[in-house]
Amino acid sequence: MNGKGWLSEKWLGRILVVVSAVLLLLLWHFLAAQTSSLILPSPWAVATRLVEFVGSGRAWPHIWLTTQEILAGFAVGSILGIGIGVLAAEVSIARRVIMPYVIITQALPKFALAPILVIWFGFGMGPKVVIAALIAFFPLMENTYLGLTSTSSDQLELFKALRASRRTTLFKLKFPHAIPAIFSGLRVALMLSLVGAVVAEYVGANKGLGALIIVSQGTLDTELMFVAFVLLTALGVTLDKCHELIYGLVEKRLYGKRSKSGSTGVSV
Amino acid sequence: MSASKQTVERGRIEIRQASKVYDSAAGDILALDSIELDIEPGEFVSIVGPSGCGKSTLLRCIGGLLSLSSGEIVIGGKTVTEPDPRIGYVFQKAVLLPWRTIEENVLLPFEINGTVDDTAREKVYSVLKMVGLEDYLHHHPNELSGGMQQRVSVARGLVMQPEILLMDEPFGALDAQTRDTMNVELLRIWAEAGTTIVFVTHDIGEALFLSDRVLMLTARPGRVRDVLDVPMPRPRSFEKVEGDERFWQLRQVIREALA
Repeated sequence: MNGKGWLSEKWLGRILVVVSAVLLLLLWHFLAAQTSSLILPSPWAVATRLVEFVGSGRAWPHIWLTTQEILAGFAVGSILGIGIGVLAAEVSIARRVIMPYVIITQALPKFALAPILVIWFGFGMGPKVVIAALIAFFPLMENTYLGLTSTSSDQLELFKALRASRRTTLFKLKFPHAIPAIFSGLRVALMLSLVGAVVAEYVGANKGLGALIIVSQGTLDTELMFVAFVLLTALGVTLDKCHELIYGLVEKRLYGKRSKSGSTGVSV
Repeated sequence: MSASKQTVERGRIEIRQASKVYDSAAGDILALDSIELDIEPGEFVSIVGPSGCGKSTLLRCIGGLLSLSSGEIVIGGKTVTEPDPRIGYVFQKAVLLPWRTIEENVLLPFEINGTVDDTAREKVYSVLKMVGLEDYLHHHPNELSGGMQQRVSVARGLVMQPEILLMDEPFGALDAQTRDTMNVELLRIWAEAGTTIVFVTHDIGEALFLSDRVLMLTARPGRVRDVLDVPMPRPRSFEKVEGDERFWQLRQVIREALA
């Protein structure tokens, strides 16, 4: 069987996704019927509540605040990650100094810092941005470093033969070469920023989708909690699609229209 | 060397007692030992020898990518100490930048030099025309075959109109048929451009077909084993060269010498 029969593999895949989703919803429905709605609300109840919550406009302040925290943390973490990645790749003494700190900060579970950050920065956006930035930082530093240092010796020799300066080699060879790796780092960083912002909201916040989850836990409003899960998932998917769109444009600009599909970056 | 002589000696390469020692964990390795050779302006010289004999090392030293341990290499009256703008390079791999179009790849030497202008673009066009790729200006390397990519690399090596073109087994990775085509093309381009060419290869037939002279190196350490004149008349074609008794004799001589 090679999928060349009456149904292409692509369509078979789509049908199987829909069928399995329906089965999972039925399973959820069945399980919800066996137990209290405080423990597991039915999918229909969650859907109704979602429509009502979003339709009434009460969802937007939460979504908007969490999005801001994610994007701010992502931006700060990315800029620092790319900057330090460049520094580590280009200056060997900087690499020697930076690496031990990077390893230590990576070993430290950054979510564990949330309580002290709340003490330092209060209940506003501050601690969320800091946590999101801290965990977004690493994949970018790592991927930038790997991308910049993975140019082939042939390419470096070409630039040497053409008498390129270090700066020219960085901007005309190493950076363009590192673009796929950097974008793959940005993708991971974006998802990690989301996790970071939400976890930081758990610790101390009165607004945002993470705060909503904690509030609904306190009031045993499980339905609302599920609504928050759905909204968070939708937010994550949207952010990922934005990344995909931007990378698609960059890739098209770099490699022309007939580029090879699939990410060539280094994943973390 | 006086400045006035420099213009006369455009493209001349003088290799004087050139030796190269590599440091390694196991001690020093003598890669090249007292190489002595004069290459005339506009000459086509091939370097052959067993693998690891230092052919590429010698080429890199001529190009200023490696420095000699002793002796010197003089190009047009000036001792080589670093990569020289009068030298073009073609590597074993095409080494094209995949994110650049063919035109942008060939324009790269000008960009690095900071001299991109209309003249540069015209030169890019004419050199791509010379290698028969003027219809592929806006394609990306991944849309071209291996042979075409190597032609782009030759074009990039020639675009600055270098006095000397150094070629390091440029067609080694191509299939036999494409390689033959490239060899014929290269002779045509060489005749048109008037550049001195130093060509490293391990293919004896290729060396004889292309060259005025063939430098044979010994196995490590690389020493000059012999320098053979290749008498077949130009312009050469495969039919003419392979119909020439002297081609087969020289081929046999080199083969035995390198065995």
